[in-house]
Amino acid sequence: MEILKTEGISKHFGGVVAVEGFSMVQRDNQITGIIGPNGAGKTTVFNLITGAASVDHGSILFMGREITRLPAHRRTDLGIARTFQNIRLFGNLTVLDNMKVAHDMKVRYTLWEEMLRLPRVRRQEREIDEKARHFLAYLGLESYAGQKPQNLSYGIQRRLELARTLMTEPRILLLDEPAAGLNPHEVRSLMDTIRKIQEENVLTIVIVEHHMELIMNICSLIHVLDFGKKIAEGEPEAIKKNEQVLQAYLGEEV
Amino acid sequence: MFYLKVLEITSLYTILVLGVYLMTGLTGLFSLGQGGFVSIGAYTAAIAYLRFGVPFPLALALAVLIGALLGFLVGIPTLRLRRDYFLLVTFGLGEMVRAGLLYLAQLTGGALGMAGMPKRVGLPLILGSIAVITFITYSLKRSRFGRDCIAIRDDELAASMMGINVYAHKMKVFIISSATTAYGGALYAFDILFIEPNLFNWLESAKLIIITFVGGLNSIAGVIAASTIYYSFGEFFRFIDVWRDVLLAVVVILVIIFRPGGLFQGLSLLPSRLRRKWR
Repeated sequence: MEILKTEGISKHFGGVVAVEGFSMVQRDNQITGIIGPNGAGKTTVFNLITGAASVDHGSILFMGREITRLPAHRRTDLGIARTFQNIRLFGNLTVLDNMKVAHDMKVRYTLWEEMLRLPRVRRQEREIDEKARHFLAYLGLESYAGQKPQNLSYGIQRRLELARTLMTEPRILLLDEPAAGLNPHEVRSLMDTIRKIQEENVLTIVIVEHHMELIMNICSLIHVLDFGKKIAEGEPEAIKKNEQVLQAYLGEEV
Repeated sequence: MFYLKVLEITSLYTILVLGVYLMTGLTGLFSLGQGGFVSIGAYTAAIAYLRFGVPFPLALALAVLIGALLGFLVGIPTLRLRRDYFLLVTFGLGEMVRAGLLYLAQLTGGALGMAGMPKRVGLPLILGSIAVITFITYSLKRSRFGRDCIAIRDDELAASMMGINVYAHKMKVFIISSATTAYGGALYAFDILFIEPNLFNWLESAKLIIITFVGGLNSIAGVIAASTIYYSFGEFFRFIDVWRDVLLAVVVILVIIFRPGGLFQGLSLLPSRLRRKWR
């Protein structure tokens, strides 16, 4: 089944073309990679899909439904979750509360009940607490629950961002350079984690990444962007040998 | 007697500070127009009572309602703006309310102000109100509403990516704040018994924000403490009254340098927290 489909989406910033006519079809339960040189428009594609930026042309469909003009928080509610290239955790909230925030759109109690702290509020807060602790434990983060994110190591922060996306009850995860700044050992453990999350939660995952080992290892399909345009699409083996791709990365024919 | 009077006036201002706390302290929205909401609340209640014979409790409720409604109307166009623009627009709003009250002299008494309200507000009502507002604020702070406020303050984009409707949330915050502030204004009118358009200018609004910062962005107890100290100070040290603001400025600078999280950073008067600290 197609879970996500973009049809010729474009984004211009002033006169600069960030993304031009990008189309992709994402099948359910697959891990897909998006690669390309710096400034190729990879993160912009994520921003367009999640609603962080608005699309100039083209359309986006999620589970058969047009979401091109839907506000960002509604898309998250539908099941699109993401991480950020430069980690964006909430610095004034504890690790546990960072998790809870990502689940708050699913909370059913009203503002009035909340003001008076009625039993339903307390009950649901307990449930959220349990859920948050469950997903922290799932990625081995339970011991950090009470800490502030900035006191954690870089690798742990990245892991926490990943755990936080699971709190939104996602159908699809968009991971923006999850391996950036990690050492080789951490990258290998990240690969295992991504696979584990994908298999155990029946998720679809799209990864923007520079780390070729990671991309080639866990993605079944790869899109290659250059100057905002897709120059190739295919399985890892094919992409490795694609001349245009090599040209984009190395700057000349090899 | 004197001390009770001081406590009464101080507590009146504490209600206003609490009204700003959720908005500025937790959500990071700065409004220089809250003085305008105080005036709106005070004048709504006074006009309703004096000109239209509305009974006092209803006049109070009306003030809250009008405050909330005005907050909603002002919020529609401004809360989508960047925070600095929001600050400017609310500044303009506060001054507009002031000018409007001066101009609508037939209804408001213009520059002469309004008097003749009966004394209906005393210490019990004010302290009771503080207790209720603190309870509500605290309940909001410790569940979904509060953490979403802080998330928005920290990173709006990330908050919206986590499924928070940032605009709707800011709207709720602004309405709650405006309603509370207007309520404080209505109490003021029936406690001090005299109101005039210049009582709550933008400087008073700025002081509410500054006290929130000095008290500590994340600490309700700290904010109440800072407000009590600041507003009672002027009463006890009338002879150096003009120095009060100088002293406040010095304290603000020292706090920002040495305790950027506020004077009472993270202070919590919850039994469970206290126990943890002393264990």
